[in-house]
Amino acid sequence: MTQKLLKIAGIGENRLHVAWLSSAEAQRFVDISTDVINSIKAQGRFDAAMFSMELTAVEDTLKTEILRWMIGKEIKLLSKGDVYGRKWEKDRFESILDSVLEREYHKQLIRQAILAGFTSVRAISQKVGLELKRISYLLADMEKTNMIEFKGHTECIPVFAAL
Amino acid sequence: MEQAEPKIVAFLCNWCAYAGADLAGVSRLQHPSNMRTVRVMCSGRIDPLFVVQALKSGCDGVLVAG
Repeated sequence: MTQKLLKIAGIGENRLHVAWLSSAEAQRFVDISTDVINSIKAQGRFDAAMFSMELTAVEDTLKTEILRWMIGKEIKLLSKGDVYGRKWEKDRFESILDSVLEREYHKQLIRQAILAGFTSVRAISQKVGLELKRISYLLADMEKTNMIEFKGHTECIPVFAAL
Repeated sequence: MEQAEPKIVAFLCNWCAYAGADLAGVSRLQHPSNMRTVRVMCSGRIDPLFVVQALKSGCDGVLVAG
């Protein structure tokens, strides 16, 4: 999930590697660490300052209740079913998780943009590179959940503030 | 871009990967030295936020091994 999120954020899923091995597998550890180092070398240095807005958005996304809840419920939804007794297919769960990830990340990114002083839909769009329609839709959603508030108009342009 | 060696944070489980890394050291297997190891008692201890924190603090990659 974190890899997917890093991918959505444009940081690249291959900045994070995950591997499993046992304590007796020294050679495997060496192989894995060599692979990881080569992969990171190929990607070059990571510039945290360039991605600071994205990283903060990723961090805030990972903290959100809905994602923590979905990950915590995964096994139960797949094996026992939800409160209506419906079992979930893995593909369906994954696709919903993907869309939630993307939506929550975009919301956090918009929030970061507003905090950085891009308060109108057009300015946010230029900053984060999302479509105007998508931003308006997410802003309405964010207003409902008290992430942002509508501050009124300046020269007929709606202005938003982060809470 | 500077051609410095990449910095990698490795979160290693005490019982699996850390012991494996230890054994690799004891048996003198050669491997690159870019890893900064963080030993945790279980890889289940890793929160995705640690990964973000590591990237924020200026490392170039993260490895979680259990």
